[in-house]
Amino acid sequence: MTDGRRPMAHEQGRGLPGHGGSAGRLRVAASGAAPLALVVILVLYVSGPGSTMLEVGVPLPEVTIERVDFVGSEILATVRNTGPIPVSIAVADVNDRIHPAAVEPDARLERYETAVVRIPFDWNVAEPYTIGITTDDGTRFEREVESAAPALRPSGELVALFAVIGTYVGVIPVLIGLLWLPFIRRMGRQVYVFFLAVTVGLLFFLALDSVEEAVDVSQENLAGSFNGLMLLATSVVVSFLGLFYAGERLSGSRGTGDGRRAGEGDGRAGSGAPPQLAGPMAIALMISIGIGLHNFGEGLAIGAAVGLGSVAFSSFLVVGFAIHNVTEGVAIVAPLSRKRVAVWKLAGLGVLAGAPAIFGGWVGGFAYSPIASVIFLGVGAGAIFQVMVVLVRWIGRGDSSANGSNARGASGGSGLSGAPFAGGIVAGMLIMYVTSILV
Amino acid sequence: MATGRLRAVILALAAASAIAVLSATAISDVYTEAQRPPQTFLTHTGAVITTTGEVLDPIYQVSEVEFDPDEYLRNFEYGRVSVHNETGQTIREYVIVAEDDLVQEVAPGVFYNVWTFNGTVPGPTIRATEGDLVRITFVNNGTKPHTMHFHGIHPAIMDGVFEPVGGGGGQFTYEFEAGPVGVHPYHCHIMPLEEHIIHGLYGVFIVDPEEGRAPADELVMVLNGFDTDFDTENNFYAANTVPFYYQHHPIQIERDRLIRVYVVNMVEFDPINNFHLHGNLFYYYPTGTDQSASFYTDMITLSQTERGIMEFTYEHTGKFLFHAHKVEFSEKGWVGVFLVKDSGTGEEEEEDGGGGSDGDYNDGGNGDGYADTGESSGAAGEQARDVTGPAAAYDGREAPDGA
Repeated sequence: MTDGRRPMAHEQGRGLPGHGGSAGRLRVAASGAAPLALVVILVLYVSGPGSTMLEVGVPLPEVTIERVDFVGSEILATVRNTGPIPVSIAVADVNDRIHPAAVEPDARLERYETAVVRIPFDWNVAEPYTIGITTDDGTRFEREVESAAPALRPSGELVALFAVIGTYVGVIPVLIGLLWLPFIRRMGRQVYVFFLAVTVGLLFFLALDSVEEAVDVSQENLAGSFNGLMLLATSVVVSFLGLFYAGERLSGSRGTGDGRRAGEGDGRAGSGAPPQLAGPMAIALMISIGIGLHNFGEGLAIGAAVGLGSVAFSSFLVVGFAIHNVTEGVAIVAPLSRKRVAVWKLAGLGVLAGAPAIFGGWVGGFAYSPIASVIFLGVGAGAIFQVMVVLVRWIGRGDSSANGSNARGASGGSGLSGAPFAGGIVAGMLIMYVTSILV
Repeated sequence: MATGRLRAVILALAAASAIAVLSATAISDVYTEAQRPPQTFLTHTGAVITTTGEVLDPIYQVSEVEFDPDEYLRNFEYGRVSVHNETGQTIREYVIVAEDDLVQEVAPGVFYNVWTFNGTVPGPTIRATEGDLVRITFVNNGTKPHTMHFHGIHPAIMDGVFEPVGGGGGQFTYEFEAGPVGVHPYHCHIMPLEEHIIHGLYGVFIVDPEEGRAPADELVMVLNGFDTDFDTENNFYAANTVPFYYQHHPIQIERDRLIRVYVVNMVEFDPINNFHLHGNLFYYYPTGTDQSASFYTDMITLSQTERGIMEFTYEHTGKFLFHAHKVEFSEKGWVGVFLVKDSGTGEEEEEDGGGGSDGDYNDGGNGDGYADTGESSGAAGEQARDVTGPAAAYDGREAPDGA
């Protein structure tokens, strides 16, 4: 901000000679604040007490049943007022049959306030239920549960179970994927580019997967007033730009031109003097972070599915996720294949990418929130898009460095124009698609 | 470059804190009130619930509905009575006012725009003897046109179909001879008809035979429903408008005493409704037109505006359920309880001197309706109305203004 203001103040100072620098700054500040103040006045005038001139139309109440828990011989519905006006909850029903219930803390809900409706009901495991809430104006809102399952309550056993699931789904597959490092290392330049491109394809698939998941969550579980899609878009962009900016600062603090040189140097396995976080290691780290965020979202989804009883969690599903996630290890090691890496660093990257599945499982299972899910999935997608950009630029450097030896435009090019790049992306996406069918 | 780093850190921190705040608001619930100490409730399904919050149970709510089903149950409007100078025919005059802007609590906590005859749903129960001249001054104080269409025998001009009465004070005088004997509905007949009916423009019209019927404790039950969210499905069902009301406030009746129920089905949307009585069977007179019962049963099925008279006597005391055996309807409110008691002194033949103080039947909404045994024999005694006498016998107990 200060950077943005300084030249403006300078210009103003020039345009109005005789004004000192501090007075000019004050003026700029005032000119920036004045419209804001007017907006505040407008809002107060239109919505303040006693103003009735804009009360046209009929505001319709809306409540959203955000989650339904089956506990003992009760059904608990978490209800949020997602409409424009306060409402009172008048009636609760199960399968469109009115049942007595309690509502805590009370039946009147201000905007965005939540309450828990407790309906005594001897529900049966695995049967579908529709929970209905009728507000004081007689409008009924409902939510379907495909299959009733006992709600998860945090216990040592369940915490351990989610840790085990997360380890199988996240940590172990990623670590296994890392073991391809020696194999990739022995390959020539073209194969190396191919594997980098495979990684880009894998990441692209994962990012789209995250976005799709977030869209599903926002459509099924999020009230319209939360603008789920725009929340997702904002999360993706903020995450992408934040990580992009931070990444540029951390890994390429000498600017793009220097970065290219550093890349060349790293390509020859440390002949230059790269800073600690620059080059392949930085890229691998960012891939790990991106995949870690993605796996957190995946853990959320798994935890929520188990917690909400919408999925029978089976060993089959674990196997599917595990195979799917082995490919994520490949994504991490591909950029490292031209560099000597300590084993502990490699393992650290794997854990960074895989372990968030465990935390995601805990959060999703015990404290599921559709808004948090959308945000996390969006952040994960943004992070992955950022990693893709870094990888593509990395491969592009190969283009320019290869220009000296290979004829430009040759079919065997090893950069963005080459067959390995295109083929790798296609292969990566195909691998992800095929393994995703298992999930 | 140091400023660049700083900016990066600030940006990252800002993004992280924004995400944290968003997540925190999303995960945590927003409570605006301090929690109350937990209380334990027994719900009408028998389930016990302990809560720090409020209870949503029609049974346990203190009823604040504008319409009192207890008062409606035994209230009959006989009109302002006079005798024709020449023919000696009894003339019963009523004033019925239609409105369509009232919002009433049709179920505890649920507010709905009702369209009313004389301010209630159902409208007043109009009662006459066969051959009486019924003269109804109909005033439409609503915003839409309305009419009164009686089921029965009358001239075409009195049918309330082709003579819409405009809102804002429009008037029409319906005049016809009461007949035939039986129980009939009346309702508004303006198009769209369904809309005018489901909002509540209906009531009961009873025509007594000249020779009267056997003395009995007489009750009116209109089976109705409300589609409060306009999806062409009823959200609530009831006998006499308020869901679960008579389960909350059992109808007190006496053992060995003849009970006569005038039942009219005004439920829309659902093709049928029904009435099932527990621990007993009843004689059923479809439409009430015949002097001999058609059925001896515990279950009748009623289509739209189908109606009849049920007569029964309980041999046993205690609580007996009555409800729609289309259980969906009973689970949405069309369910009630008869509380059968001993008559106590056994002398229930006393003449009714009360002058139609129907409010006495209301148990005052004391929450369970079980405790006030003290009133019951007096209240029931008041039911011992002599309906066997000639038509003139009614004249002494007509409703004050017929409106």
